[in-house]
Amino acid sequence: MGLRLDTIRECLEGVIPGQIATCDSEGIPNLAFLSQVQFIDNLHVALSYQFFNRTRQNVLAGSAVCLLLTSHLTGTQYRLTLAYLRTETAGPLFEQMKAKLAGIASHEGMSGVFHLRGSDVYRVLDIEQLPGPALPLPAPTVNYLTALRRATGRLTACASLAGLLETALDCLGEEFAIEHVMLLMHDEGRGRLFTLASRGYPESGIGSEIPVGAGVIGICARERIPIRIGFMTSEYGYGRSIRRSVEADGQGDGLETAIPLPGLPEAGSQMAIPIVAFERLLGVLYVENVADLHFGYDDEDALVAFAAQLGLAMHHHQQAEEQAEDAPITDSPAVPLAGPPLLVRYFAANDSIFLDDDYLIKGVAGAILWTLLSDFVERRRTSFTNKGLRVDPRIRLPGVSDNLEARLVLLQRRLDERAAGIRLAKTGRGRFSLAVNRPLELVSG
Amino acid sequence: MLDPEIVAFIQTGVSISLAARGPDRLPSMSRGLGCKLSPDGRLLHVFLRRSQSSALIDNIGDNGQVANVFSLPSSNRTVQLKGNDARVVRFDPADGPIVDRHIADFLREVVPLGTPEAVVRTILAYEPDDLVTVVYSPAAAFSQTPGPKAGKPLD
Repeated sequence: MGLRLDTIRECLEGVIPGQIATCDSEGIPNLAFLSQVQFIDNLHVALSYQFFNRTRQNVLAGSAVCLLLTSHLTGTQYRLTLAYLRTETAGPLFEQMKAKLAGIASHEGMSGVFHLRGSDVYRVLDIEQLPGPALPLPAPTVNYLTALRRATGRLTACASLAGLLETALDCLGEEFAIEHVMLLMHDEGRGRLFTLASRGYPESGIGSEIPVGAGVIGICARERIPIRIGFMTSEYGYGRSIRRSVEADGQGDGLETAIPLPGLPEAGSQMAIPIVAFERLLGVLYVENVADLHFGYDDEDALVAFAAQLGLAMHHHQQAEEQAEDAPITDSPAVPLAGPPLLVRYFAANDSIFLDDDYLIKGVAGAILWTLLSDFVERRRTSFTNKGLRVDPRIRLPGVSDNLEARLVLLQRRLDERAAGIRLAKTGRGRFSLAVNRPLELVSG
Repeated sequence: MLDPEIVAFIQTGVSISLAARGPDRLPSMSRGLGCKLSPDGRLLHVFLRRSQSSALIDNIGDNGQVANVFSLPSSNRTVQLKGNDARVVRFDPADGPIVDRHIADFLREVVPLGTPEAVVRTILAYEPDDLVTVVYSPAAAFSQTPGPKAGKPLD
């Protein structure tokens, strides 16, 4: 096969609909339009199975398949010869195609008509480029290899998890020219993702949550596969999907709903990339844009490679904070407390914390903060260690895979955003300090 | 005989494609550049580029079986016609204006939907001496507009 499929993937995006020709056992040919062709690798594609139509009957009866695909960038046409292998009705490939189809259906006014029943996997036997004129490919806006090289280089220079996450988001903006980004961490015990950093939104949304399985981000997390949608679709608009999913599983109380998710109100393009290391899902990178079809296969490849590097670095920093512990530094002399007292109210039922009646955080991060503040008020303690938190019976960490360091980063950021006079700062590996500059009044219940 | 409404539909700014199959039942396909009906309304003429249709032309010569799809991008309305007596004939230069009108109609249809005119003109670019005509009598017509009625014969 002369032409490689990975060099003509723009034809698969469905901007100009592909067509499929088959033949029945009587020798009567049939033609139909394709909603979607999904690139699997250079030898395999998947087509969406939506209706039990003549095409499908012919394919199941053993017909060879001919596709006509057209590049919406160059106008070049390609004919592909395919052989049917199997149909997948669940799993990563199916979910990728289902999400993409929802966008396509919405774009074509076919929401409610297009419904993915299966992903038909085919082997590519031949690719033929049809003779004819071609427009030059538009110049790319980003050189992904350069972006990837520079971005992964910057990740290796980070000294802490917090610094790593900031650098990762800076890289997406500065190296990959992506303006709207969220980084969410996986809370394995609760089946949630919580926002730990974002760029390009009026509110950071740090601390906001999404259940695994809900919307673009949640499905990406559940299936551990990139989800990319090229057209606006209410079906995968995360706000709505989340509410529905939460109501369905009756866990609305457990979800962080007080902090709104950041996000573009009308994103044309959405892409969620899982961050995985050693077969554990650590989090999700989410990017979006108001334009349709803003992210293509190349953007997806670049971010998947970046997320792989990021995942290894995250894993490294989390392990390092757990295993190593720098020597304690002398507690800095206590800062004199000044100003009106800050009322800190704690509710044990969900470990939620309110500062002067304003909600701050709940869950494990809430339990951690209450413990730190209690120690501070009782004995002016300001120096703490990750190991100490892990064995502290007041906190009840869910287990080894609890992302303790990520929760500390979350807590630190929420406190910084609130600027109420309580701050956390890292003082070394596995070690941090609490700084309070106002008198505290702690109230439980 | 085709319903007059379908006859009118297939001569608007629709995309046109033609498929055939070889002796081994391997399908072949190509884009059409307009069509016309014979004065008696029985024979459909579809114009193709020879250089892009070598297998299709061979297959039609072998067995005459064709499937022909017409789809209007703005509405997704799609009609498929089938024939079993197709043959390939020389392109009559007198049909040149039909091809040009088809391209103009198709541009008016798809450019407002977002495809740049230069891309559409590239996809439909042709050399007059590269054109051939496929002639057949439509023996069956089906609706293929996406939805539950797709594939149903048209009355």
